[in-house]
Order: sequence, then structure tokens, then C-alpha cells
Amino acid sequence: MAALSAARAINAQDITDKARRDLLQLLEAVRGKKNLVIEKSLAGTIGLFVKFSTLQEYGVDKVFFLENHNVDSSQRNVVFLVRGENAKKVRTVAEQIKLVRSESKIEHDFTITWVPRRTLVSNTVLEEHGVLGEANITELPLHFIPLEHDLLSLELDDSFSDLMLRKDPTSIFASAQALMLLQKQYGLFPRILGKGDNAKKLADLLLRMRSEDDVNSSSDPNNAYLTSFGLTPSAVIENLIIVDRDVDFPTILSTQLTYQGLLDEVFGVSNNQTEVDSAILGGVVAPQADKSAAPATTAATKRKIQLDSSDKLYPTLRDGNFATIGPALNRTARRLQTDQQSIKQTEQSISDLKSFVQKLPSYQAEQASLKIHTSLAEEVMKTTRSETFGKSLEIQQNLLSGADPSTMHENIEELISRGVPLKIVLRLLCLESTLSNGLRARDLESFKRQILHAYGYQHILTLANLEKMALLTTRESHRGYLNPIASAAGDTATDITSVRRALSLWVDDVAEQDPEDTAYVFSGYAPLSVRLVQAVLQKSVIYNLANPPKLGAASIYAGPSGTGWKGYEDTITRIRGATVDVVQKGSDAGVSAARKTLRTGKEGPRTSVVFFLGGVTFAEVAALRFVGMRIGEASGRRIVVATTGIVSGDRAVGSAVESRVFGE
Amino acid sequence: MSKPTADWRRVGDKFYRRTQLYTSVFEATLELENYIVTGAPYSGAVALYRDDSKIYSVRSTQAAKGSIDIYSCAGHLIRQIPWDKASIKGLGWSDEERLLVVTQDGTVRSYVDLQTDFTSFSLGHGAEEHGVVSCKFWTSGLVALLGNNTVVAVTRYDEPRPHQLATPPPGEVTSWAVIPPEYTASRSVEVVLAINKTIHVADAAECEDRQLEAGPFSHIAVSPNGKFIALYTDDGKVWVISADFQDRFSEYESKVKTPPREVQWCGNNAVVLAWEDELHLVGPNGSATKYDDYSFLHIVPDIDGLRVLTNDVCEFIQKVPDASEEVFRLGSTSPGSVLLDAASLLEQKSPKANDDIQLIRPNLDEAVDSCIRAAGQEYAITWQKQLLKAASFGKSVHDFYNSDDYVDMTEALRVLNAVRFFEVGIPLSYEQYLQLTPERLVQRLANRQNYLLALRVSEYLRLPVDRIYTHWARQKVRSTTTNEQDICHEIVEKLNGKRGISFEEVARAAHDEGRKDLAVKLLEQEPRAGKQVPLLLSIGEENAALDKAIESGDADLVFYVLLQVKRKTPLASFFRIINTRPVATAVVEASAIDQDQELLKDLYYQDDRRVDGSNLLLSEALAASSIDSCADKIKMAAKLLRDTGKEHVAQVAYLEESMKLVHFQEAFEKDLGERFVGLSVNETIGKLIRLGNMKRSVKVQTEFKVGEKAYTWVRLRALVAKRDWRELEELSKGRKSAIGWEHYYNEILGAGSPKIASLFVPKCTSLTVAERVEMWIKCGMISKAGEEALKAKDRKMLEELRDKADGQTLSTAVSATALSSQHHHPAQPQAPGLEYLYTAYVECLNNIYNSQGPRGIRTTIPIVGGNVTGPRINGKILDVGADWGLTDPSTGIFSADTRYNVQTDDGANIFLQTSGPAQPNGNLHLRLAFETGDLKYYWLNNIVAVGVLSAVSSTNTSFLLKIDAWHLSGEWTNTTFMNGSTYPAA
Repeated sequence: MAALSAARAINAQDITDKARRDLLQLLEAVRGKKNLVIEKSLAGTIGLFVKFSTLQEYGVDKVFFLENHNVDSSQRNVVFLVRGENAKKVRTVAEQIKLVRSESKIEHDFTITWVPRRTLVSNTVLEEHGVLGEANITELPLHFIPLEHDLLSLELDDSFSDLMLRKDPTSIFASAQALMLLQKQYGLFPRILGKGDNAKKLADLLLRMRSEDDVNSSSDPNNAYLTSFGLTPSAVIENLIIVDRDVDFPTILSTQLTYQGLLDEVFGVSNNQTEVDSAILGGVVAPQADKSAAPATTAATKRKIQLDSSDKLYPTLRDGNFATIGPALNRTARRLQTDQQSIKQTEQSISDLKSFVQKLPSYQAEQASLKIHTSLAEEVMKTTRSETFGKSLEIQQNLLSGADPSTMHENIEELISRGVPLKIVLRLLCLESTLSNGLRARDLESFKRQILHAYGYQHILTLANLEKMALLTTRESHRGYLNPIASAAGDTATDITSVRRALSLWVDDVAEQDPEDTAYVFSGYAPLSVRLVQAVLQKSVIYNLANPPKLGAASIYAGPSGTGWKGYEDTITRIRGATVDVVQKGSDAGVSAARKTLRTGKEGPRTSVVFFLGGVTFAEVAALRFVGMRIGEASGRRIVVATTGIVSGDRAVGSAVESRVFGE
Repeated sequence: MSKPTADWRRVGDKFYRRTQLYTSVFEATLELENYIVTGAPYSGAVALYRDDSKIYSVRSTQAAKGSIDIYSCAGHLIRQIPWDKASIKGLGWSDEERLLVVTQDGTVRSYVDLQTDFTSFSLGHGAEEHGVVSCKFWTSGLVALLGNNTVVAVTRYDEPRPHQLATPPPGEVTSWAVIPPEYTASRSVEVVLAINKTIHVADAAECEDRQLEAGPFSHIAVSPNGKFIALYTDDGKVWVISADFQDRFSEYESKVKTPPREVQWCGNNAVVLAWEDELHLVGPNGSATKYDDYSFLHIVPDIDGLRVLTNDVCEFIQKVPDASEEVFRLGSTSPGSVLLDAASLLEQKSPKANDDIQLIRPNLDEAVDSCIRAAGQEYAITWQKQLLKAASFGKSVHDFYNSDDYVDMTEALRVLNAVRFFEVGIPLSYEQYLQLTPERLVQRLANRQNYLLALRVSEYLRLPVDRIYTHWARQKVRSTTTNEQDICHEIVEKLNGKRGISFEEVARAAHDEGRKDLAVKLLEQEPRAGKQVPLLLSIGEENAALDKAIESGDADLVFYVLLQVKRKTPLASFFRIINTRPVATAVVEASAIDQDQELLKDLYYQDDRRVDGSNLLLSEALAASSIDSCADKIKMAAKLLRDTGKEHVAQVAYLEESMKLVHFQEAFEKDLGERFVGLSVNETIGKLIRLGNMKRSVKVQTEFKVGEKAYTWVRLRALVAKRDWRELEELSKGRKSAIGWEHYYNEILGAGSPKIASLFVPKCTSLTVAERVEMWIKCGMISKAGEEALKAKDRKMLEELRDKADGQTLSTAVSATALSSQHHHPAQPQAPGLEYLYTAYVECLNNIYNSQGPRGIRTTIPIVGGNVTGPRINGKILDVGADWGLTDPSTGIFSADTRYNVQTDDGANIFLQTSGPAQPNGNLHLRLAFETGDLKYYWLNNIVAVGVLSAVSSTNTSFLLKIDAWHLSGEWTNTTFMNGSTYPAA
């Protein structure tokens, strides 16, 4: 029961339903058949909550991608669905409207739906192009979209590079808006904790928006329910923990070793989907597609695979360490086989037959899913068995466990000489740099030279970008904690050695099969971001890891207790970036007192929202699910992960990589 | 106390009542007949203006000037809008009491809250040219009919977007009306036009002729609920039909020669025909009644009735509400009516009261409800009281009664009576009150500057009061002329501590009045940074606006301000503004990168950010279309950094190197006819080696100071990619390698040449014996592995080797020394061992032909090349063969069936046939058969060989397969022919 009420706290289904309703209503408002022009990145997001066939039911005739510039004039109604916060996209919309208008013989009705809101800049741009008056303008307030029931995402693909490289605060604002919406629905986050400079900005924004909202809600005649009460602290949400990506680069740079994480590393997962060469699934989909006979007929085709909890097996597989996937698949295969046999043997009476028929669809779904995941796992295995993968993983694990990085340099140089994909090299170098607050100037210069020789001089820009993102720097550039006089050590640099010790970032024996600790997701390295969350929610666990209880000694927990960062204040200050700890009280003392009396006595299980500003990796999600499961067992509490988007090392580093070459 | 039924009249089977709301409405001097009158819905304000078409004598200077006068229903002048502009063609209200004035040239002026100045927009669509003929309004929009019969609709006023509806046919429009979008099937506004003898209905998409031939119709009216249309024909008849023109409900003949001045609906079930001083009220089924005791009258329709305005009175005509009819109707025996009687009997202390109560005891709920509802419908306070008393009496007798309705009704009545008071002049009916909502009523009170009443009502109904305060403050700013400090102080003092006050609105009012300083002062009180920005911008406080925008955290807002500032200020000061604000700089950079690189260059120059500037030039170089312009850009980039002295010396060097590389590559392209530009240094070296230009590659290495290790790696990879075994064999003779020898072994083995790979095994002296043994095994050279193990005298390893090599020929010496204790399983015969034959890479084309045959699908795959590498056979595969594989129709398993030719390096021709089925893992197991006449390879005819086929890679046009082949162990070292000769010769 307790878990049930906690589950209700943030209901992903509601959010999905509302998004679908909002979108369909907007489409319905445009009467008759219409052509839909959609931003490419938005198409995937929309696909998370509405099917194309449903759009057709609502009069959508053809769908065009905004980026393709190929909108035709076959329908009188043209609906644009575009993110309004991107001036470049707004300009494209304006240009296309002008184009259609000038080329088409009939008069068109244009509707622009800005996601998630209409912006002043979009107005200005449309006005400059002279189309502001031409189009009917609406908004689709699409903020958080559930990727899973415990994973909300803004699906902002570029948030990492926007924040780190371009220092563009748009996604902080978008996050604040989305979190405000949660607060409006579930009450104020009673406590906001966070780490990182941008986390601080976000927390400040939340506070500011709250006071602004007092005024906003009252000037909006349709919004009556907030005006009389204002916001009061939530009874279902315990706290908000903001993890700024800036604080924890090593985690995204490391190769994820969970199944889902590896799928993302190998194939790339976006909007819960991955696209693979259908030859990989060849044996699964069509048995005659033999490898020797027909690679050609299938080589070019790609197949999309849905990766979410609608799949029979995936939820049980995705968060496991990849080492355990093979055995898990084998077990499932054996179980299915015995099931099949027992069905065959027992199908004697009519009732047996009936129950067999009932089971059949789920059985078949499971079998199909088994085949898909076996093929995928085999394909992933090809990568993990490769020499390059092994070598880079070895370097990575050594760096993470605190080995002297200079011993790894030769290995990295070898990788460069062998011409392995640039991103692999950059990830390792950035990992070293972010772990040890930069490379020595001489080393860095030598690596730069080798990279430019091996991959081309255009990567002068790549390296400059990485430096701007603080991913690859020289050690001199921030003296930080090395300087004993600078008291605020955590401002610009992380003292990784003491943090590794205090938070047990490296765990030596990891039981991948039956994990005891979140470190299993990287086979030894426990993500710093997750440890930060644990420092709030599972103080005893990390205390015991850092100070193993002595045998024989009475097992009395002597670690820190209390809420918030308590007990780990010192460690937190050794991590770079500002620290956030705000308690939110209701604006109206009387009302919150009333709430309090209503609440006492049935202090139920509560939800913690962990928000990743700048993106989260699947491995971290897996680790947080693990933490959530543990605290759920202990007290019925729950963790919901929210993020600006899903990020991986390749994507993070990739945003810095210059893709053009000379002379093309 | 007159009976409520005194003003009732029966029309058909319904009653209609006439309620006098106010008397002495307009001054007697006001000649109503010369005015056009239009009233806002929900008993809102009434606007009067002089009808242009009426001739009138100039009486005073004031009248000549002309004005639109806004009165309350009670005749209280709220506002006078002086009018000297173009001729008014439409005057109407929206449901939020926004006054709209449409002039002939198509300009729409919108006066929002009875107080403020107007905003205007133009109808467009040729309105200016053809002129507006007339306008119709509904609660949230308007439709204008233009001179050329075009109809233009506006569906919202906050962001008006006039759009043209389908054009009706030409011809004089004798009358027309609109059906609001909320009532139409198409959800777009529909216009009903009487043209010639028929009716046309136009919406956004099409204009349809309804084929009525009874016209011309001089009046058309649409009922408030949009369901019915009343038509007045030329011959004095009124028709009521459904809005979809399917049903005809009633017909009435007025028998009056002159057509009525107006035809309007009274609620949803009666039509009123109005002449100068006479009304005909036509109910369902043609029943009608006449009211003719008026002086000159105007009618104002509302949602549930009709207001009549004369100089003397303001009256409301409506169908008697059901609740009132139930209670008051003569002879009514409804429970409500009995309860009312009982209550008055009780007042007279008559015992009969009890009898009455007992009579309706079972229906007491109903009785109380209908009394409450009837009370809501009464205008006379005494009757309200009477009915509520009755209800109160009824519920006191009732055991369980939920008093919510009663309490709500008393609250509502209290509010209604307050606003109906003649000084306020809002004679809302209960129905209207519910539809208007209390919030909007409060807003209307504020608009009339009845702030005190508005506050009282809000507090009484527990509604937010911030809007009232804001409204007050705005009005204050507009109307007071005292010095700014005082006003600001007064306003802030009054509003301080109140929740949700929008100072921005107040400040905007100040700004609109041209009181800039006051606006800025007031704006400081605004808590929402986002709201401050636009106003600060329009005041001209760009810096402050930018700061506020940054404070708001909204990048959109920051960008917006920057766009505005950039437009207004010179570039230099623009940069000055942003360079102290990192967020602003970031936003400018992020946007400029996509669209305005020149701006970015200037910015970097201004800020002396040379590295960024140089990188930007480099980026442009990458985008450059020609090598020359690319070189120029890079030169500039380098120059920019060189000026800084030593700091960026490394980067300058890289930039120079990059140009040098391009020049080298251009030279290579000229000499070798291959593409080089675009490759990196290492790739260039690799390509040179692959093309066999060792010398040039070394030159590049020295020119660019590529490290020995890196060079060695590149060379190794290039040679392996080229499968230049000869060169690699040559390298194996070298004494030293910068990267050790193990990598050679791995790369070559990976490329499929165990023989060459094996050459490197002995060189790996730094490895352990076990590792080297493993390396030999991987090459398929078990005996070499054995020798290695023997050398190390490792017995355990030898035994393991034996198990692996079961049946194979370990050198006899090994067997003798090491395998003294051999034991085999007695029951099974010992399997013959397999000996490694070769590894072949087979290249196949993608043009595959499938054809269904008697034995299944034949798949034809051309074999066009490849090579064979093995201990005794090396050669290439000729472009002559194919696979005619067969797919077993009963299992779907594919079996290969190939024929092709191998030409050995020493010139022998070997014909091959292979066949075999696919395995579950996707590989194929093959049987191989050889035919050759060449003496050297004659042994091939006599071996039994098997192979494993696996796919290696594929491109768009071809794919590569790998076949590892073995043959059963046996003696084949020489072949003896029938003529007694042997090969090799003994």
C-alpha cells in the first residue's frame, strides 16, 4: 500500500496523457486535413506519446521534417510544430512559410505551434520576415516527457553542449519551468539540495519563479485555485536533488557497462529507440536471411527497436551489468523451452488448452523479445571483445581507481597511433583531465600534437571546444585545491583523491551478478553523481563502505545522520561548484500549519526527485534505480529521475568534435 | 406590494414578463430617435452615438462635435469619447465590455475597459478600398461586411487576425447576421446573408446558397443559443427556422405595413419586432402579444431576454422563468406555491399553515428548491425576502436539508441587489450573473471605478482583490497630476504587502501617459523580472532591461533585449553593454555562430579574445570553397595569434603545419593522381605506403616530425591493409621495432595470414613461453608450439598441447620425450585429426539472382576475387566463379554450392567445388573438393577437406567472406604417378 501511494506522487502516465491530449487538441483546432511540419528532434519526442496513425486520425495528411525544406502545398492547412526557443529554427519556419506562400497557387492557412512556449524572439523573427500576421500561433507546453515511469526527460538533445560549450542558459530556464510545473501539481519541494554552479542558478530560478508566480497566477483570470492559497510544501515529495553535470564529468566520460548503457554506447539510444542494421537481427526477423546468402539485400535497411518497459524482457535486463546479460538470456531461453514443453505435454483437457491459448500471446512476445535481445547482445559482444575496447576499458578503470595517470599515457598514445575512433581517445584524455584537474602542460601539448597528426588539423577547434567545456585542460589553469591558501577549494576544482575516499567512488570487489552497491554499473566505479544522491538518501550505506564495520565489533552505525548534506558537508565542499541547500516553506504560515496537522500521523513514504542538469547516462539511471529499490525496501520511499536529456560520453565529447575537413 | 404576476402576459402557453429596472433614464433633451444604441451583453454599458443618416439641426456647439457616449443601464454617463474621425459603420461590445468601433475605412478601434485609450487595427482585405458597410458582433469577435460583399471576420481581440470568409455572390445584402463559432458545426463563424430572394451562408471555406425563394428578407436575427434564425419577409411575415435550415418552426404575420426597425430575439424562444414605439413579441407557434405604451424605444438583446430603453424607462422583457411560474402562477398547486402560501399564513399566525405543510410534506425538498430558485429570479427585494422566508420556513420543517443552495442564493442576491442599485446600474438577472461569473462582475465594477463596491463584493465572495488594486493604481496614475514622488509613494503604500499586485501594469499605464520617471519608479516594485523588460525597453532603459532579463534567467528574454538594443545602438556601445555581462555575451555568441560570424569577429576583436578569433577564422577556412581562400584564412588566424608573442606559439605552429600539409598533399595529388587533401598527417603517410611510395612517406614523417612509434604503427597498418605480405616478411627480418613485435603478429594474424604472422613469434622475446605457445597455436602451428614448450621443458604445457593437437603430427621427438604416458579411451576409435590447409578471403558481388527451381530457391552469387593463404598453398581467386546456393524449401536452410578457380602464386590453376549448409550461428560448414593437373599441387586432388565460412564485411556493392579450411590428417608429402614418377622427385 505504502509503495502505491508513493507511486502516485509523480504519475508518468498522467503526464503522457496530458501531452497527448494537448497535442491532439491543437491539431483538432485546425479544421480539416493538414500537413504537419515538424522539427526532426521533436518528432522523436512526439513519438514517445502519440502514434503516427493517431495523428492521421486527427487529419494529418503528410508529415515533413522542418530541416528538409520540402514542404509542399498539397494541403491548405499547414501546421508547424517547432521549438520556439531556438532562433535558428524560428527563422527556418518563417522562410518556409514565405516559400510556400510564394510558390503555391492556393491560399494557405498556417498554424505555428511553439514548443514549449511562444517566445518574444520568435515574434520578432516572424515579424522581421513579415509572416507574423499570416500565421495562427499556438503553444504546446511540452516539458517533462516520461521515458519510463521513473524517468522524466525534457529531451533537449543539445542541453549538454549548450550549457558547457556555449554557456547558453536556455536549458536551465526550461528545467526551472518544468520543475515549477511539478511543484504546482504536487506542492513545493520541501527541500532543494544541489551541487554545481548551474544547480545553484536553477535553484535560484525556482525560488524566483515561485515569487513571480504569485503575481502571474493572480493576473491570469483562468487560474483561480492558486490565488487563494499559494504554494505549500508538498506532502508527497521529500526533496529535489539537483546534480549539475558540470560537477561530475568522469561519469559520462566512462564507458557504461550496463546493458542499456552499452546499447547506447554501441548503437545509440534516442527517444527509447535504437536503430540497428537489420542484418544483425537477420536470423530473428526472417530466417532465410542467411548471412552468406543475402547480406546485400538487408545491408542497407535499418530497423528501429523500441527499448522500454513495453518489452517483455527489457526491463529486467537493461540495468544489469553486461556481464550478467548472457546468463540471464540463457535462463530465459531455458525457461521458455520448459514452458513450451510443459504446454505440449499438458494440452489434454479443454481447460488446459484454454489457459495455453491465453498464455500464448505473452509467450510469443517473450520469445520475440528474447530473440531480439540475444541478437543485440551478440552484436554488443563483438564490440566489447575487440582489442580497442579492452584496451580503452583497461585505461579507464585504472584512471578511475586512482592509478597514476602517467602510467597510462603510453597506452593512450598507442590508441592514437592505431587510429582508433577519435572519440575514444578524447574520452580517455578528458577522463584523465577531469579526474586530476587537468593534464600537465607538457603531456597535454604532446597529446594535442599526436591527435592533430593522427586525425587532422581541423581538430584544433575540437581541442579548443573541449577546453572551453573544461573537459580537457592544463593543470595550471586552475590551481584550486593544490594551493593551500585558497580556502574555497571546491570552487573550481575537485579534490578527487579525498572525495574518492570519503564517498568510496572505487569499490574493489563488485559482484556483478548480485550487486551490493551501485559501483556495479561501471564494474568498480561508483558514479560521483549517484554518490551525491546517496549522501543525502543513504548516508549509512556510503559510510559503511568507507569505514567497513570491523568484525566482531558491535554493528552499531556510527556514521552521519540527519537530513540534507549533513555529515558530508566537508566532502561536498571539496567538489567543484556551488552547493545548494534551501528549505522551502509555504508562503502562508497558517495554511502550511494546517497542512502539517493534516499530515501528522500518516507521514507516508515519499518521493525524491533527482534532477540532472545537462543530461544523465543510462548507467546512472540504473544505479539510481538500484538505490531507489534499496530505500524502497527499507522505507517505501522512491526516486524519480528527471533530466534535460540522455547523454553519453560519445555525445558529450561529440558535441565538441569538428566534423569538417580541409578542402571539402 | 404588487403581485409579481402583474406584469405577466400570456403568449401561447408561456408567460412573458416585463420588469421595470430603472426610471428617468435619459434626459428628456436627448433625442433618442437620432441615436444608434448598442448595449454590452450581461446588462453591460450602453453606447450611444448620433446616427449619421439622420438630419438634425445644429443646436449647440457640443452636439456638433459628435461623440460616443457610454451610459450605464440606469442612464449614468460613464464616459464620453469625442469623435471627429471617419464615419462609424459598426459599434459593438465584447462580453468583457470591450467597446469596438469600426469606421468606414476598415479601422477597428478597441476600448478595453471603459476607461483607457484605444488600440486599433485594420481589417485589411480591401476594407479601405471598398469601405465597410456594416458590422455584426458576437461575444468574442466581429464580422464586417464590405462594399464589395466581402465578409471579414475577427475572432479574437487580444491578437486580432482579420481573415476573409468565403465570398458571397454579388447583389445587395438586404440584411444579415452571424452565428458565433461556438454554435456552428464547423467551429468557424458563419454569416447568414440575405441576398436577392434567398439566403447565403458563408463560413471560412465556402459560401452556400440555402435556396429559399421567399425573400427578400429585410431582417435576420440569430437566437442567443445559435439554434434558431428569425427571418422577416418583405410581406410582413416572421419565420422562425432552425439554424441548419432544416426545420421551420413558426410563422407570424405582423399585419403592419411598415417593416419593423429591428427584429431581435428575446431569450431563445421569442422574437421581438420593434417599431418606433411599439413592440410585437412573437412566441412559439405564431402566438404573439403587443406592447405599445412606449415613447421612442431602443432594444438591447441579452442572453435571456431583451432590454428596452426609452428616455423614461429601462425595462427587461423575458420569458417568465420556470421557477417563478411554478410558484406564482394563478391557481398553481405546485409545492413551492403551497410553501409560499404556508409561509404567509404563518406570518398571519394562521393554523392553516400547518395543513399546507402537511400537504406538501413528501415534496418539501422540491418546494424549498423552487422557492429558492424563484427568489433568484425576482427583482423586487420584498418578494426575494418573501420567497427566502418561505424557503427558510420549509427547511426548518425538513429534517435533513442541505443549506448550500440557500446560502449561495442569499449571497448571490445580496451581490445582485447591490449592483442593480441605480447608481451602479448593472441590472443583472440571475441567469446572467451565473454566466458572467462573479470574477468578471468584479472586473466590471472596477472598470466603472466602483472600487469600494468591487472590494466589498470580492471580500464577501472570497475572491482575489489584486486586480482591483491594480486597476485603481492605474487609474490613479492616469488621472492624478500631482508630482510623481507623491503618486508613487501613495500607490506603493496602498499596495504594499498585498499579494499578486502587478506593478508592471501600473507602470505601463504611467508610461502610456508619458510619465516615464514614474513608470520606472513603479516598475522597481514589480517582482517579475520578465515583465519589467518590455516596458523598460519601450521607455528606453536598455541597460536596466538587459539586467532584468538576465536576472529572469530566461535566455529568450535576454536575446530579445539584445536584438532590440543591437538595432538601436552603434556596434561599439553594443559591445560595451554586453562585455560586462557574461550571459549576454554567451547568448550573442551562440546566436551569432549560426547567422552572423562578422559580428562575432568584431566581438572577439573588441574583447581581445584572440584565440577565439583565430579559431573562428580556422572554422571559416574549413568552410572555404577553394584551397587558396582556405590558406588566406589560416594565415590570418596564425597572424592573430602570432601578435600575442609566445603564449600561443604551439597553436601558431599547428596552423602553419596544417597549411604545409595541404601543400604537400596537393603535390602528391599531382604526382600520384590520388586524392590526398583532407587527410591527416598519419593518413597521408598511410596512403603513401599503400601506394608504394615509401620514400615520400618518410619525407612526410621527417617534415612533420611524426614520432617513430606512430610512424611504425601507421606503416604496419598500411601494409596489412594492402596485404603486402612480402614487405611484411621483409620487416620481420628487422632487428628492432619501435612498438615491439607482438603488434605485428596480431595485426597480420587478424588480417588472415598466419604464415607471415608466425614469422614474428620468435621475435617476441619479451613474452612468456606460454604466450608464445599460444601464438603458435593461433597460427595453426602446433608443432612449433610443441618445440617452444619443449625448449622450455614444460611438461604440463606439452600435455595440454597434445590434447589440443589430438591426432595431429607433433614432431616425433616431442611425442617420444613428452608423451610417454599416452592413454586413450578404448571404446571409441580415435578420430583422425585435422590439419590446417589455408585461409581464403573470397570477394562476392552483391548482384544476386534468385530463382525458384524444383529443389528450392537457387541463389546465384558471383565470386570475383580474393586470396588464399596457407602453409602449402598461396594464391589468388579468379573472377570466374560463383555460388549457386540452394535454400532447402522444407527447412529454409541455405546450402552453398560453388565453383571457382584459384591461381597459385607460382602459376598453377586449381578448380574448386565447395558445398555445405548454413549453421545456426550464421557460419557455413563446407565440403571442399579440388581438381588440378599441376604436379606440385597434385596432392590436392587426394585430400578430404572441410571448411568454415564466415562473413567478414560488406560494402554497398560487394561483400567479403572468409573460409578457414582443414583437411583430414594424412600423408600427402609426395604423389606417386602411374608411370612411376613421383612429385616432388625423390
